[in-house]
Amino acid sequence: MVFGMKEEVENRKMNVKSFRSFLAQRSATTLVVFIALVVIFSLFTRNHVFIGQRNITALGKLFPDLGIIALGVGMLMISGEFDLSVASVLPFTSYIFAQFMLGGYAPFWALLVAIGIGGMLGLLNGIIVVKTNMPSFIVTLATLMFWRGVLFVWSRMMPLNIRPFVERGSLFEQAMNGTVAEFFPIQTVWFIIFSVVLGIILHFHRFGNWIFATGDNRDAARAMGINTNLVKIICFIIVGLLCGLSGGLQTVRLGSFAATQGIGFELRAIAACVVGGVSLRGGIGAMGGIVLGALTIPILDNGLILMRVPVFGITAFIGLATILFVLLNSYVERKLM
Amino acid sequence: MSNENNNSDLLVKMTNIHKWFGRVYAVRGVDFQVRQGETVGLLGDNGAGKSTLIKILCGYHQAEKGDIIFEGKKVRINSPREAQKLGIETVYQDQALAPNLSIARNVFMGREPVKGMGMLDKKLMDEESMKALSNLGLRLDSPDLPVITLSGGGRQGVAIARALHFKAKLVILDEPTVALSVKEVGEVLEFIKQLRKEGISVVFISHNIYHAFSIAERFVVMARGKVMREVTKEEVTLDKLNELVIESAIVDID
Repeated sequence: MVFGMKEEVENRKMNVKSFRSFLAQRSATTLVVFIALVVIFSLFTRNHVFIGQRNITALGKLFPDLGIIALGVGMLMISGEFDLSVASVLPFTSYIFAQFMLGGYAPFWALLVAIGIGGMLGLLNGIIVVKTNMPSFIVTLATLMFWRGVLFVWSRMMPLNIRPFVERGSLFEQAMNGTVAEFFPIQTVWFIIFSVVLGIILHFHRFGNWIFATGDNRDAARAMGINTNLVKIICFIIVGLLCGLSGGLQTVRLGSFAATQGIGFELRAIAACVVGGVSLRGGIGAMGGIVLGALTIPILDNGLILMRVPVFGITAFIGLATILFVLLNSYVERKLM
Repeated sequence: MSNENNNSDLLVKMTNIHKWFGRVYAVRGVDFQVRQGETVGLLGDNGAGKSTLIKILCGYHQAEKGDIIFEGKKVRINSPREAQKLGIETVYQDQALAPNLSIARNVFMGREPVKGMGMLDKKLMDEESMKALSNLGLRLDSPDLPVITLSGGGRQGVAIARALHFKAKLVILDEPTVALSVKEVGEVLEFIKQLRKEGISVVFISHNIYHAFSIAERFVVMARGKVMREVTKEEVTLDKLNELVIESAIVDID
């Protein structure tokens, strides 16, 4: 009845096969390089300090700062938008957190306020992007500079010591900077919780399908009745909320607010997502890949420092690595599609 | 020409529809109707107002003036979702598909079946999408294939299967055969015949009269935002229809 069914079926069978291997390879390339990095750093750092328990614990405390934000940024990128303002929203919410504690609020409530403000700044980004139709790259570049400027003026760039307000050993302190079973950093637990929750939303929930559809073909998604503007705004809000939490975690760990918190996070978060296989054009990506990317960038940082690469040279390596990852991904894609 | 005594089996009737885009007067007082189970070819050159008229019907645009009567009731269609609720499904020329998403996720895009708390019912999505596709005579290996791996005809099949699954009463195909190979065009025309067998009304928009002629029962020719001619298949030959379309495009109505 339908013309040339047999050939079609044969063709499609081959497509299924190659696509399966493509899927496998797309996350596999990142995984392979990730494992390679861990092995190299373990072997070539002095006294194998990289895999020493102290270093692993330190990494587990540090990497979620960026990692938690990257989880949200990845989802936002899949919906087809960027958020560069994370690098300012994070210290901004940290400042709110510190100020509210200074004002006599309990740390828990101060944190909730900070997270709420983060969500509102995300909402603002989202509204500007969908209402003006400007590229989010430009909009959030503007809000990145704007909030950083506001913060510098407001805080006069003075650090705020928050140690007197967060009681050592209190439940709040434990939940923000403690360890589980004596060595497992709580920050990593937060990262795992959010990657699981957001992963379920992205891959198994209706809203996740809307995110993919919005990023992959916005017109199609709209024609099918998906409110793509709302989808994007919600993704921006998620990023803002995560910035608030990450800012809180970082501030408690450091024991103070610093106006320089978060500098460089805007591009690192995107780099982490790209390394994890998220497409810059939206519509492609997976939570597993984002998690890998969010681990890879800090490990690259940490490993290179331990290998005594001069600190200022490290960004050069991260830049190189990002390009290599993207090349690798698109090579694998072209080879197999 | 419309048969007044046949009003009872009218599915949709649009009267005196007007639409401006800024200073562009895209649709200028158009009457358009489709009967139950009928396949209508909507013809005309680029910019004739075909797509605009149809986007009003499927809720993508709203008319400045004019009435739409659907199944005997006057309706206002404010969004694509409202059109879908009435039973109007559209297969757009830019293909309302997300290329990197799977077949199942495309079929149910925006109307995903859920098990509670909004979690996708993946099993149902897989089964139902494969069922709708096989009803069209399209057998694909897996509902997990991204639609980008399908042929052009296969992709149109996925979009049409969507209409079939959601029990559309009217399927609008906006240039479904543009940019397809001869073989793929054949596939798509087969899908449309399948829709007709299910008793679904079809509006087939095309500027390729050969494709339209082979499946439609009635033809509406538009030019410069107006309906120029309406003929049934019995009244014309392919050549005559071709002439009508060219004539309509050339004739100066002002």
